Amino acid sequence: MTIDDNELRRRFAQMREAEREGAPGFAQTLGRARARRNARTTWRVRPVVLGAAAAVVVAALWLASSRPDQPSAVAPAIGSWRAPTDALLQTPGSDLLGAMPALGASVLDAMIPTTSEQGA
Amino acid sequence: MDEIELSRQLERVHADCFGWAMACCRHDRDEAEEVLQTVYLTVLDGRARYDGRSSFRTWLFGVIRRTAASERRKAWLRGLLLKREAGSLTPDVVAPPDAEVERDSRADSLRHSLARLATRQREVLQLVFYHDLTVEDAAAAMGVTAGSARTHYARGKARLATLLGDARDL
Repeated sequence: MTIDDNELRRRFAQMREAEREGAPGFAQTLGRARARRNARTTWRVRPVVLGAAAAVVVAALWLASSRPDQPSAVAPAIGSWRAPTDALLQTPGSDLLGAMPALGASVLDAMIPTTSEQGA
Repeated sequence: MDEIELSRQLERVHADCFGWAMACCRHDRDEAEEVLQTVYLTVLDGRARYDGRSSFRTWLFGVIRRTAASERRKAWLRGLLLKREAGSLTPDVVAPPDAEVERDSRADSLRHSLARLATRQREVLQLVFYHDLTVEDAAAAMGVTAGSARTHYARGKARLATLLGDARDL
């Protein structure tokens, strides 16, 4: 046995009646919607604020670690530093030991002036 | 249309919208309320705009239908369905009078039969018989062509009549 249009309409009307009895009011629905939105906004803002704070801390740490060490104003540069006892290392004839010797030449030639040099 | 006028329009069709939200949410009252709340905010915030191509109610039904589908997808993703099943134990209620039992029983029978129809068939029958829309307006709310809606309507009505008849014969 099947059911005609009128019977279908009657049944749907009964269902509509039953559902409308328990339906929440418009103001109630809208009020809940706004409350839900406010709650969601709060929960959405919190991670953003925490994330921003964490980013600031990380950036500060990174900047602090990447900054080059500033040289002290009173400390001399390593290239120009000389030890105070360097003078003691300068001995007589040290220039002779530091020069390249030539074949056939005597060490004495370099040490004793020639006659022509004496005349001049 | 400003917010006050929009609120008035929404209030005027609120009862109808709740019924349609119930249908879109398979008669889950909590889910229907949430969908309706989302829809009202969407409309009042201007994220869904009425363009005047159909009646306000028809347009709103379309928004409700899309929102319900979207919420269902989100719920599935979050695994909320499982939670809802776990928390679906309801406290004992006072037994209603016989007339209400009879009416609710008939409504339940209709709901169960509707649940066995294809989604489009169920939607078009709900819009036509419950909300008194024409098949063309139902097509606009469903986002399908009028021809397609007519096909769903004819097939759905025949199937529903058979299902209800079978239930009555039992």
